[in-house]
Amino acid sequence: MSDESPKLSLVRPLVDAALMVVVGSLIGLAVNGRLLWEVLERHALSRNDEPVAEELATRLPLPIGLEELRGLLPANALLIDARHRESYRRGHLPGARNLPWGDAGKLLPALRDEIPPQTTLVVYCSGYGCEDSFLLAQRLLQDGYRDVRVFEGGLPAWQAAGLPLEGVRP
Amino acid sequence: MKRYLPHLLLSCRLALGAIFVYAGLLKALDVTSFAGSIANYQLLPELLNYLAAATLPYIEMLAGSLLLIRRHVRGAALLLGGLTGVFMIALASVLIRGLDIDCGCFGVAAPTSAVTALWRNAGLLLLAAGAFVDGGRRSA
Repeated sequence: MSDESPKLSLVRPLVDAALMVVVGSLIGLAVNGRLLWEVLERHALSRNDEPVAEELATRLPLPIGLEELRGLLPANALLIDARHRESYRRGHLPGARNLPWGDAGKLLPALRDEIPPQTTLVVYCSGYGCEDSFLLAQRLLQDGYRDVRVFEGGLPAWQAAGLPLEGVRP
Repeated sequence: MKRYLPHLLLSCRLALGAIFVYAGLLKALDVTSFAGSIANYQLLPELLNYLAAATLPYIEMLAGSLLLIRRHVRGAALLLGGLTGVFMIALASVLIRGLDIDCGCFGVAAPTSAVTALWRNAGLLLLAAGAFVDGGRRSA
């Protein structure tokens, strides 16, 4: 008699499912807390620092993963290495152009002369811990480049996938 | 037919559980890429892309594991079926808007078109239905 009613009732499964969402989310938030915090901070940065925050908030560089990056490369996207010159010389992603964030002010005019603003740019640096690629990407957007993305995994993610570097010196 | 039905339902539960544990694990290992995959759908603002990328894999792994160890089977089947439904809506919107993107379903290492993913998700819905019935069969 009481055998049928729990089978038909959707309440238990729905409550269970909701609990799974809550518990799963909490685990996910705990594991990825640092990453999410960084994304939040970055958002706050782009909101407060710029006088035209409204405009820029919609023009944040798009983060891309390794697979998207590999899809973009044959489509004439230009890779930009935001790391220091020395790190670049020790090895970089194939075809990447070096534009250290520290020298951006000095080097950007040359880039603008050479690379048209409709070019897709993909900026990277030394992985998730490094902000230079994001800062440089924002600067490039301000400078009129329309499609700027950030390969956040950077050089470590590229290497971890077993992909070759260019210009590796021992 | 009746004789084989329990085995069929059991297989649905185990297959669905294994698939989601696997899919969740792949995405949990590369959260940033997954956020990029979600961003490609152009449905959510950037922050929510990251939030979804951070939490979804763990929800999938949790519900998948519960199916495998036969705990809260109907809840887990309902949740994963519901998620699959949401994914299908997102994929359909991709097709309607004519976006050419990878589905990101199993991380970025296994690119799949939206059409293929839609068919695959229809299969997952069937598995979820089977698993749900399996959960009601015994007093679990």
